[in-house]
Amino acid sequence: MTIRNVHDCGQRHRPRVACLKKVEALVLEMQDPTSGVKSQTQRLVITTIPHALTGEDVVAWIAKRFNVDAAEGCAIGTMMVAFGYIYPLRDHKRLILKSDASLYRFQTPYFWPAQQWPVEDTDYAIYLAKRNIRKNGVLELHEQEQYNNLHKWLNHKWDFIVMQAKEQYRAGKERKKPDRVVFDCQERAYWVVHRPPPGSVSAMDLGLLRLIDPNQEESETSDYFRRIIIFTEQCIMRPRVKSSVSLGAIVKYITTYKLHDAFLSPVLPSNPWLTDDPAYWDLNSLTIDNPTRMRVERWTFSFGELLSDPRGRDGFRLFLKKEFSSENLAFWEACEAVKWGTASTIHEKAQQIYKTFLARGAPRWINIDGKTMEVTVRGLKHPHRYVLDAAQTHIYMLMKKDKYGRYLKSPVYMDYQRRATDPEAHNFTETQLAQNAKNRRPSLSPIILRQQEEEQQAKLEASGPVDLTQVMSKLDKRNMLKEGQK
Amino acid sequence: MPLSNNKVADDGTACEANTPEEGKTMVDSLIKVVACHRHLASCVGGSTDSPHLRQELRQTRERAQKLTLSCRQHLTSRLRDKGLPEAERKDAELLWVAFSSSLELFYADMCKVFNMGNNFSLANTCALVQTGMQGDTHEVAARALSLPDLQHEGTGAQSDSVERQELSQLEQEMTQVDRTIEDMELKVNVLRWTVEARGPQNGELVSTDSASLTLMAGDEEAPGGTAERSQIFMIMVICGVAAVAVGISLSVIFLA
Repeated sequence: MTIRNVHDCGQRHRPRVACLKKVEALVLEMQDPTSGVKSQTQRLVITTIPHALTGEDVVAWIAKRFNVDAAEGCAIGTMMVAFGYIYPLRDHKRLILKSDASLYRFQTPYFWPAQQWPVEDTDYAIYLAKRNIRKNGVLELHEQEQYNNLHKWLNHKWDFIVMQAKEQYRAGKERKKPDRVVFDCQERAYWVVHRPPPGSVSAMDLGLLRLIDPNQEESETSDYFRRIIIFTEQCIMRPRVKSSVSLGAIVKYITTYKLHDAFLSPVLPSNPWLTDDPAYWDLNSLTIDNPTRMRVERWTFSFGELLSDPRGRDGFRLFLKKEFSSENLAFWEACEAVKWGTASTIHEKAQQIYKTFLARGAPRWINIDGKTMEVTVRGLKHPHRYVLDAAQTHIYMLMKKDKYGRYLKSPVYMDYQRRATDPEAHNFTETQLAQNAKNRRPSLSPIILRQQEEEQQAKLEASGPVDLTQVMSKLDKRNMLKEGQK
Repeated sequence: MPLSNNKVADDGTACEANTPEEGKTMVDSLIKVVACHRHLASCVGGSTDSPHLRQELRQTRERAQKLTLSCRQHLTSRLRDKGLPEAERKDAELLWVAFSSSLELFYADMCKVFNMGNNFSLANTCALVQTGMQGDTHEVAARALSLPDLQHEGTGAQSDSVERQELSQLEQEMTQVDRTIEDMELKVNVLRWTVEARGPQNGELVSTDSASLTLMAGDEEAPGGTAERSQIFMIMVICGVAAVAVGISLSVIFLA
């Protein structure tokens, strides 16, 4: 049975995109031969096709109709293009309305966006197959990926899809050439709206999938009352904080993080989501030598910030190595690995941690108080994901109270501050932005990134942990050398 | 997939098909009709919308319904036959998947046509969207009905009541198709995950249509006129070869 995937995000219950009806009424108004938008003819190589509109005509008509200025008219026009009621004839991938002489055309009502019928993957597969048939290898990168995906998931229908694509292509050839061109443009525009290339903002993004009807009255059965009772009991049990205290915390957080929030202040060099330039991500990657100034500054906000940034942890590890207390950070990282790792590896990882850090006379023995040690060792008999939680918290507090303050004053951190890069802000022109949009490439696959991480981890472990016995032997050797020199 | 010349009229009405080949032909015809119906449906509400178009849509729908009935009978009888050999069962299941998928497409198109018919009444022609289409769709409908030519009955005008009658009939046909889909699901148990496609991932056609490519190429910003350029190149090569041949023959005549 074909499962009818209704991915309309609950629109059938309470439509959020109610503006579609209004835009449709506006489009119908524009059709009026006397008071509508002036239409021109588009001249192609051999033929002419009527009913083309210029961007500036559309903007002028909208501005007059709604009595707004040109910029607002342009914004409304861009919305119409983004929804797919008007499509551009040149540069079809950028769904904006340019208020110059660039040409647009109305989309046929068959291809108008509709909420009651979700856009089917089968139709998309047929469209891509049709394009492939016409000219092999003309699909873009993301289209090819989706085509391969659909071939995997719709494999049972694939013969039908290819045959339907061929039939639609042949039926299209029965039409006259200008009509064929128009139909191809229409279909292409439809799929640019409903299957946008990755990285572009889609107007048809309906948000989270909503499974129940929010307008439906809920029947008051005993289950319902039980739920309400539990909910109210939990409300009463919640710990309460004075609003002055919580508001003070919010204000403090905002003042600290204000300059680091990409929504509130501009990002240096430039926000990749806006300018399609990945320099920001390259400068803030995990393996960079000189982190940016903003990143280094963020490490001073709290110990949690420092530990959550892998680059920050590297610096902290270096500092702790000099202070001969790197086993604390190693233990904390090992506990994180247990907490977040796969369930099958918990047992052996916990045993490894016990042998390395907790046992009496262990090579990297950590200093935790007797009670915590007792609780942890008892829990390790039946290890679960959070068995090392108490010990980890203890070590975290130890590092935070003692080492963190010293780290921020240490030469290691001062060195980071000195070497921190201050990237220049990009100032892209319109053409450069268009060029960036064209050069968008998918980034490294997360699988590859994970492999690189694991290789780095292995290298780190292979370079040898600093344990007491080795250190003592090194100190002895140095003393002997000094005595030898004397 | 060997499809016969589309202009040849065939007698594919509700005749009982007993051989697997006839079943396949019927399903292929249904796919063809659904494809043509989609082309016709994309014109509704646009600049080529007319009573003729609605009539063509109706005729295409009738043909699709007939094909649906015969396909359904054929496939149901074959798939419920317990003594069917394995290879033939696989073929029948493939056909069944194709049949149900085309029915679903057809149903979706009918819903859209119904909705658009409600919104765009033919009485008010200046409210039709100016989509840039100019020509008519006689050839597409002729292809769907497998007729060499299409005769139009009656005049162009269509009154309101006739339209409403058509729409109600369309609604009935929609419910009928919906019921067919559900019935087929209940009666025949085809496990979708066991059906494997036989054909290649990319379809191929014998002839490529470079003419519309050049028209579209003039449309695009990026220089897509490679097809045009390759044509000019070929013409030049042929002229060069012809000139060389003429030169050689002249020299042969001279020397001889």
